[in-house]
Amino acid sequence: MIGLLLRFYPARWRARYGDEFAALLDERSLGPFDVADVLLGALDAHLHLRGLGAASEHAKGFAMSLRIGGFAAIAGGILWFSGLALSSINQGGDALFALAFGVGTLALLIALIGLSAFQARQYPRLVWAAFVVPALGAVVSLIGMVGMATTGDLPFIGTWSGWSIWAIGVLALIVGSALFGIATVRARALSRPAAATLAISSIVVIPILLGVGVLDDLLPAAAAPLGMALAALAFAGGWVGLGVSALRIDRARPVAQAGGTA
Amino acid sequence: MPPRIPELGRFAEPALLILVSLSDGPKHGYAIMTDVEAGTGRPLGPGTLYAALARLEERGLIEAIAPVDRRRPYRLTAVGATVLADQLRDLAEFADLGLRRLGRARP
Repeated sequence: MIGLLLRFYPARWRARYGDEFAALLDERSLGPFDVADVLLGALDAHLHLRGLGAASEHAKGFAMSLRIGGFAAIAGGILWFSGLALSSINQGGDALFALAFGVGTLALLIALIGLSAFQARQYPRLVWAAFVVPALGAVVSLIGMVGMATTGDLPFIGTWSGWSIWAIGVLALIVGSALFGIATVRARALSRPAAATLAISSIVVIPILLGVGVLDDLLPAAAAPLGMALAALAFAGGWVGLGVSALRIDRARPVAQAGGTA
Repeated sequence: MPPRIPELGRFAEPALLILVSLSDGPKHGYAIMTDVEAGTGRPLGPGTLYAALARLEERGLIEAIAPVDRRRPYRLTAVGATVLADQLRDLAEFADLGLRRLGRARP
């Protein structure tokens, strides 16, 4: 009887689930309800397997966006901070600073795309709104870097120099990162401590970049650069933390207790 | 209220019951069936169970682990746990809303 019922299922389905399904049917005395349910299940399996290719591709794309976003967030955070550190200590020249900052910014843009695609399944409006500002900022800052490399201090677009465009882009990237951090805390899909760190550090860095000098007023002169460095480190650390949590989810580690096997 | 387990159609409810059943540890098919039946008082047919299991596995919400004899246990993934928690939170809020409205409508 069980063998006959299994034959109604497609061969592909039987290859994957056949043994365990037969074991399940062995354990249960089959009534009319079960037989009807199995036959309907077989019909569903035939219909479903026709669309399985598309669903499978969708799932692969979902996992891939998480993986790419995770690696990009880690690389982007580290490179972005390295670029800032190189520019501060001014060793290794402008080329290394530009390379680290440029690649780091590009990586953060990729991270934004990958992680937003992952989180948007739950809060599409919130996450995509928080994606637009930093993504535009990253693109603008990259355009600014091209301007700095090609025209130096001269106007690059209109009366704007490459440096001005880059600075506006970086500012938007940081403001947007604060929004992205807040959205990520709300979405709960990735690490909330890392998202909160990103949001808070971004908010701290903004007045410093704007030259408001808040830290200069609050802290002794020697401590202000340290505050800036810590805020920048926290900003990079927030991105790295989000990347690590994305990779952990991608591995899909079990959350249940192993001892509970029934 | 829109379902939070995506694109499962008529298998959304069995899928939710399966995810809840797996939330306290891995179980194989027969254990899930008996657990769901004990918890809801309604039977979960084997055909429905495996149609929902296959969809949950495709979406990465559950995963199979090494079989014991011919029985293969399944467990929640981290993504599955997140989706389940969100859905249960929404259902709780929806139930609260309904109960509040009932209380208000009571003469």
